[in-house]
Amino acid sequence: MEIRNLCCGYGRRSIVKDISFSIDKGEVICLLGANGSGKTTLLKTILGLLKPQKGEIFLDNTNIKKWSCSQIARVIGYIPQAHEPPFPFQVRDVVLMGRTAHLAPFASPSKRDEEIAEKAMEILSITHLRERVYTEISGGERQLVLIARALTQEPQILIMDEPTSSLDFGNQVKVLSQVQHLAKMNMGVVMSCHFPEHAFLYSTKVMLLDKGEMLHFDIPEKAITEESLKTLYGVDLEIVSVNNQKNREVKVCIPSHSLIA
Amino acid sequence: MKLKETSGPVKGNLEKQNRKYSWKTLALLLVPLFIFVLSFALGRYPVSPGQLINVLAAQVLPLQHGWDPTIDTVVFQVRLPRIIAAMLVGAALSSAGAAYQGMFKNPLVSPDILGASAGAGLGAALAIYFSFNVLGIQLMAFFISLLAVFLTYTISIRIRHDPMMALVLSGIMVGSLFTAAISLIKFMADPYDKLPAITFWLMGSLAAITWQDISMIVLPILLGAIPLYLLRWRLNVMTMGEEEAQVLGLNTRRLKLVVILCCTLMTAASVSISGMIGWVGLVIPHLARMAVGPNFKVLLPACIMLGSSYLLLVDDLARLLASMEIPLGILTALIGVPFFMYLLLNSKRGWK
Repeated sequence: MEIRNLCCGYGRRSIVKDISFSIDKGEVICLLGANGSGKTTLLKTILGLLKPQKGEIFLDNTNIKKWSCSQIARVIGYIPQAHEPPFPFQVRDVVLMGRTAHLAPFASPSKRDEEIAEKAMEILSITHLRERVYTEISGGERQLVLIARALTQEPQILIMDEPTSSLDFGNQVKVLSQVQHLAKMNMGVVMSCHFPEHAFLYSTKVMLLDKGEMLHFDIPEKAITEESLKTLYGVDLEIVSVNNQKNREVKVCIPSHSLIA
Repeated sequence: MKLKETSGPVKGNLEKQNRKYSWKTLALLLVPLFIFVLSFALGRYPVSPGQLINVLAAQVLPLQHGWDPTIDTVVFQVRLPRIIAAMLVGAALSSAGAAYQGMFKNPLVSPDILGASAGAGLGAALAIYFSFNVLGIQLMAFFISLLAVFLTYTISIRIRHDPMMALVLSGIMVGSLFTAAISLIKFMADPYDKLPAITFWLMGSLAAITWQDISMIVLPILLGAIPLYLLRWRLNVMTMGEEEAQVLGLNTRRLKLVVILCCTLMTAASVSISGMIGWVGLVIPHLARMAVGPNFKVLLPACIMLGSSYLLLVDDLARLLASMEIPLGILTALIGVPFFMYLLLNSKRGWK
């Protein structure tokens, strides 16, 4: 997927200005930026929910300007933040909804569609949840169900808007390692997130968005620096390298304003 | 990315799931059939199941007429049209209610949320006020009901707000406006002749149903029901919210319009011959959801079965409870509300 000179926003108000980047299979791009910096607006535009004010989006060298929402959904899968729908659907039914874009207008999912959904649940190791009620499982499990749903779309690109924002520490790790696993299965992933550390750990590239403008777009080690994060979030911090048990260097961000400083 | 075919155990799982549905399907088919046969046996001229089979079979088989010819009249001119009307109206209101509840992501929505009933009421009141005949009353009810929903829709797309919220808000506004207009007409109507006629119409009844009424509503009800039935799986996706449904590949704007059109046709046709009948379209989807779950693929058929059975049963009560017929709309509320409370209080997950 390639994005050229994209400007987007609501109505005439521009929120995101002149952004160009491309993503290949196997890459995980992490979008960092303060609240209101335009992360969600950018993702919504890529998904076709908002019309681009300027610029183009290309998928396999085809401009998707005139594509219908089902055409887009066959290539781009979206994973929203886990939420609670008003009706108690079974997990398998929720996952099956990912087949919508592949179905004829009056059709219901076929055996084959059900098998694809089963496979997606297998990949995420949530087959045991298939008959549970979606509204009664935990937030982390729900997020995994939504990822499985996006997988049944059989997309090339996955888009996630803060997939871990309401999850506890353990579930954050579980969800993000699944995301990494999916990228290794030859999908491109674009996700927005709030933790620079997640970007270090799970992404191949980082985009820093500051007031709708692209500040940096590079590998995490180059893009995420003490200065760039200070511009982004307006707080002083230190980036510290530590070695984990496998003797791999891991970077951690520590705010300078906290008591331990 | 393509997901590969799955292996044996998964297929076994799917089959187990399907078997679980089969006994429920059987029950859902038998309940309406049972109440259908029962309804002939209830009332001033009871027709026993044996007689009923004879009378019906005589229509196609050369059977000897060994029974009282009044039974023929009772079956074909009195009971059968009324039974069919009750089942049609019950099924139509229930499926419209279920579809709206899914679309608005709200289990408290009923088919008249967009003003269809208020419109039908105003149409009927106007027709009675101007002394139209029965056909005129029904046509006015039907078309003003369509007009009310059309107004709701056109107002809503001009409101710059969350589109679903705008739809509900304008539905409430149009509904209240039309209800006020009904009151105005009642206020102006002749209190000895027309006012009672309007009031009785608004209470709802199937007492005077003829074959002609049924022939009038069958087409619009089918026109609404068939597309809705075919699209029913997509309603599942709609319950996830409009934006999410759209990124899953659903053309939500088109689906919304189709659902509104279908539900309005069914609701308008129903209330145009039955008058105001409340609570059916709210209670039955809940009952059906408790029986088969929220998946519209099975929920909608269940609503049709349970809705037709329920309204037929309540209409039987309307005929039997007192020496004089009780208006159906009163009974649907009198029975529907406590029944709804019972469902809410006794279910594991509240309305879920």
